Amino acid sequence: MIEITSGRYRCCDGMTRRSALKAGVLAFGGFGLADWMRLNAQAESAGRSLADMSVILIWQGGGPSHLDMWDLKPNAPSEFRGTFNPIPSNLPGLDVGEHMPRIARVCDKLTVLRSVTHPDSGHESATHFLLTGYPPTNDIPSNEVPSYGSIVGKELGAKQPGLPAYVAVPRAPRSSAAAYLGVEHNPFEALGDPGNEGFQVRNLAPPANVSIERLEHRRSLLGRIDTIRRDADASGTIRGMDTFAQKVFEMVTSPRVREAFDLSKEEPRMRDRYGRNTWGQSTLLARRLVEAGVRFVTVDMGGWDTHGNNFETLKNSHLPKFDLAFSALIDDLDQRGRLDNTLVLVWGEFGRTPRINPGAGRDHWPNVFSVVMAGGGIKRGVVLGSSDGHAEYPKDRPISPQDVLSTMYRQIGVDQEKSYVNEANRPVQILNLGRPIPEIV
Amino acid sequence: MTRQASRTLSTILVTFALATPSGVVSADTPRPVKLTVEPSQVTLRNADESTQLLATLELADGSLRDVTGKASFSISDPSVATIEGGLVIPTGDGTARVEVTLKAFDRAGDLKASTSVAVSHFQIDRPLNFTNDIVPVLTKFGCNAGGCHGKASGQNGFKLSLLGFDPVGDHDSLVKEGRGRRVFLAAPERSLLLTKPTGQTPHGGGRKFDTQSPAYKLLMRWLVQGAPFGKKDDPTVAQIQVSPSSPTMGRSERQQLRVIARYTDDSIKDVTREAEFKSQQPDILVVNGAGLVSTLEATGEGTVMVRYMGQVDVARVTVPFGQAPPESAYAHFQPKGFVDELVLKKWHKLGIAPSPVCSDEEFLRRASIDAIGTLPTPDEVRKFVAEPSPDKREHLVDQLLEHNEYASYWAIQWGDLLRNKRRYGDGYKRGTFAFAAWIRDAFVQNVPYDQFVRGILTAQGDVSDSPPVVWYREVRNVTHQVNDTSQLFLGMRIQCANCHHHPYEKWSQDDYWGFAAHFARLGQKQGAVANENAIFVRKDGGMNQPRTGRSMKPKPLGAPETEFVRGEDPRQSLVDWMTNPENPYFARAIVNRMWAHFLGLGLVEAVDDMRVTNPPTNPELLNALAKDFIAHKFDLKHLIRTIMNSRTYQLSSAPSPFNAKDRQNYARYFPRRLAAEVLSDAVDAATGSSERFGGFPAGTRAIDLPDEAINSYFLDVFGRSQRETACECERSKAPNLAQLLHLMNSPETQNKISNGRVERMIKEKLPDEEIARELFLWAFSRQPKADELDAVLGHVRSATNKKAAFEDVLWSLLSSKEFLFNH
Repeated sequence: MIEITSGRYRCCDGMTRRSALKAGVLAFGGFGLADWMRLNAQAESAGRSLADMSVILIWQGGGPSHLDMWDLKPNAPSEFRGTFNPIPSNLPGLDVGEHMPRIARVCDKLTVLRSVTHPDSGHESATHFLLTGYPPTNDIPSNEVPSYGSIVGKELGAKQPGLPAYVAVPRAPRSSAAAYLGVEHNPFEALGDPGNEGFQVRNLAPPANVSIERLEHRRSLLGRIDTIRRDADASGTIRGMDTFAQKVFEMVTSPRVREAFDLSKEEPRMRDRYGRNTWGQSTLLARRLVEAGVRFVTVDMGGWDTHGNNFETLKNSHLPKFDLAFSALIDDLDQRGRLDNTLVLVWGEFGRTPRINPGAGRDHWPNVFSVVMAGGGIKRGVVLGSSDGHAEYPKDRPISPQDVLSTMYRQIGVDQEKSYVNEANRPVQILNLGRPIPEIV
Repeated sequence: MTRQASRTLSTILVTFALATPSGVVSADTPRPVKLTVEPSQVTLRNADESTQLLATLELADGSLRDVTGKASFSISDPSVATIEGGLVIPTGDGTARVEVTLKAFDRAGDLKASTSVAVSHFQIDRPLNFTNDIVPVLTKFGCNAGGCHGKASGQNGFKLSLLGFDPVGDHDSLVKEGRGRRVFLAAPERSLLLTKPTGQTPHGGGRKFDTQSPAYKLLMRWLVQGAPFGKKDDPTVAQIQVSPSSPTMGRSERQQLRVIARYTDDSIKDVTREAEFKSQQPDILVVNGAGLVSTLEATGEGTVMVRYMGQVDVARVTVPFGQAPPESAYAHFQPKGFVDELVLKKWHKLGIAPSPVCSDEEFLRRASIDAIGTLPTPDEVRKFVAEPSPDKREHLVDQLLEHNEYASYWAIQWGDLLRNKRRYGDGYKRGTFAFAAWIRDAFVQNVPYDQFVRGILTAQGDVSDSPPVVWYREVRNVTHQVNDTSQLFLGMRIQCANCHHHPYEKWSQDDYWGFAAHFARLGQKQGAVANENAIFVRKDGGMNQPRTGRSMKPKPLGAPETEFVRGEDPRQSLVDWMTNPENPYFARAIVNRMWAHFLGLGLVEAVDDMRVTNPPTNPELLNALAKDFIAHKFDLKHLIRTIMNSRTYQLSSAPSPFNAKDRQNYARYFPRRLAAEVLSDAVDAATGSSERFGGFPAGTRAIDLPDEAINSYFLDVFGRSQRETACECERSKAPNLAQLLHLMNSPETQNKISNGRVERMIKEKLPDEEIARELFLWAFSRQPKADELDAVLGHVRSATNKKAAFEDVLWSLLSSKEFLFNH
């Protein structure tokens, strides 16, 4: 198998039989070396390097209300428009909800897609769709195909040895797993609550009395004892455990890893800026991680399923926290010169019903909703597509979730036409539908 | 004629596919014997009917092959009917013969078969019926699918019921709503019903058919007739049946399916053209809209779901694994009862053979973990290995079932499923502790499973005298009660039918709310115990179906409705129905759950998603287990013995060349990681230490914990259940990096390693080899092999600190997969 990392070809060492079986095949007419070199040249001429690209996914599970955040309809009848007023952003022509005042000042760095649409209004199935790029074929889905975090992690690996390629902060939402790529490509969950004052990721340093040298001795002894047949387990769990054990040694012996997960290394002012709560500190941790070399970080910002009391919940809890965290992330990445090398994607599984229900809530609405992208070479200050008068359906330029993901893959140099072989030996493309959105790349 | 699974068939079929892709017979295949065509007589009673012909070739070895796609069909009188791909479509009244010819090679010559066609009432414009004639068109073209007009909010203002389960509402929606534009009787061709799907008016869903299609003509005729709903007493579909129902196919082969609908007046009709087909294993096979199945390159089993008018059926396709194993591959497997016999039958059908039987050490460890969640001690290992009795494995199973740990281990698993959760803090632990003790006691007493379930479902009163009322604390409202009861005790997820007809089952909203009516009289009020509700039964009260507003009588699933009787608890009649030996779901659900526990994979997966469209991998075995369980009066220990004493359970986990590709037929033991609580206890056992759980006395084990709220990072990271749902899946056995970090690199593990057994044995100055052997016996339940012993002793001799060196040994054992997995 040939993997593309660090801007050059290298043969994959330590290849197991499983990885050989699952090795990707480049499709005819797919993304070849020439394409990759062209894309990298483009990126480099724009001051970016594909090898240095990371992704931060802010997952607003439950489904955030597009009408109250990115696509307000002040002229719609009251049963649609809600109680929030639009405020102007620093991007001419874009108004956002009044409870995102800080975000309003970074909109010139964002791309807002206002006409994303899909047909699935169920949480689990739509989550599967938007976290993998594939609608599930079974009615109770759990990662029939890999999450794109797993794919990006496998395709590109971590940017620095020792660090995991794919991390979820603090936990991984459903459908974030690796499916047939193997459990070793599941996300590393930081666990705990980064919003707590004394938060730290456990067990990253060796225990007292266990030196690195002693750890090496243990490791060599383990190699002689841990000899159970790996093929006894067709599910790949045993092999996955091997990979994790290997990773444990890499992580524990690397000071860089502990450093990356240590929020106390941040200035108090910076921590304040992101917001001293779970969402804010998780977002800050995501920035630290991609800076240290993690390839893909999912920030689990769930809880947007506002069937009841939509406006009070958004106004008093969700939007102030999101406003702080997201605006801080964009500014911070930009000030550090990392925004163009970090693609930020903000979405949930769908939007919410434009018509307000009797409980002052909004229900599930996938027919049109807004998605925000930033960084990673995505054009800055673009509002693409629009919804109709009540924000119910796309008015123009309908965009599929696969188009969004295709754009992401293109920007970070992953070939969506490459296939992996699933459990039944059938090749499945990384993404089978969707094209990069030309207006924003 | 039955389709038999010849074990040589797979080879033949592969040969066909490779050698003579377009031919039927090659030199080394059995001789073709006979061509048959079904049905033997085609009767078409109006212009809209059609019938799918199936042409089948019988070979000399008795195996059957579908040749519908390869045979040629000719009809004696084209003015009666035409044939397209074996589908007979009427063209006028009269009778005709259909000749089916299969061009064969060499030995056999052409094979022929024939059938007759009779067409009547072709010219008569029969009155169309909305439900029977129009709804199937809307379903077939996806108009009423969940992604389109069938979703709860409709699409662009036009709403249909999901998959057409509410024809009355759909008729209203088409004919009475939309200001007369959807159906425009003055000029039917301008109805949106016709202009949208043909693309004459812009349609978000795209162009579905053209103006020359049968669908268009049918809709047009219905409009010309005045868009009638039809007569109330017109027959409706009672059942559908797909044939063949369980074909065996080679790789890259084709099989035409045929679907027959039986109506409430007992008439039957071929609905192959109208039915929907969906492959449930798109990796193994695909199916097109006409019911033509194509297998791919993979082997195994797959199902095709067929749906028509709210009824479902499945065709199960078997694609055997390559070359059939020789008889000698089965020689070591002596069936010990019906379990082994039925599993063996399935292996033969699929062309796989079992691994050898596992060693005594492996069996002791496996059985102890699976039955009592506990590792055996070194003494137990030595004693069991030395025991000469040929029945020692049966004896061991009997002994395990009498252990204290048996009740603890099963209580913690049922505590998950029964959601015994301390949701609202310590004020509620009196309830969870009491319920946990009640569950545990049921396993101590081996309460028959039917009585156990009755105790929970019909609980009433206060926690103090009836602990299972705590079940109703998490399972609070009626939809929770219906969902948990059906999922947990009947193995069915019927929650879809809360709001609309179940898309993969026959259950309607009426079925759901009739089931719900059993809980209609349940009341909760503050009880005598602080924070705990008492459950009481009201003297009266009823249940309305939310969509129709109709009042529902209690009605178990698929059974006649009963009456509310004043002063009686309808839950009792529900449990009577569930625990009746004739109940088709209750026993099957629990035996499948238990089988999955011991064999690592359910006969139906997921274990609580049993439905017509998710059939068992071995239906005969599932039925036999259920029958035996009922015959033994729902005795769980008997069921466990039946499973554990089978040879199937006792196979090695090492794959053989004859089963390496199979993942679901138990030809070897499927290893799995120890569950969170079991692993926590195993670490304690292996290190000779004892985890302290807050608020519990020393020596309390993880499997003794009464609820989920006891703080433990270890249990969380290894995936204990949070008890939020009744789903078995909530307990996670998936590995992750944080688990290994904790096991290999935490101060907690290091403390246990250095302050427990190793320290004691060093103090006792035991010889190095003895220490090494003890550590192996504790962690792996076996003696070290020579090379392992060499490695360990070498490490110890080269170290300056002997205690630290043995800590390293123990650390390596705990970090090994042999320790982490039950294998």
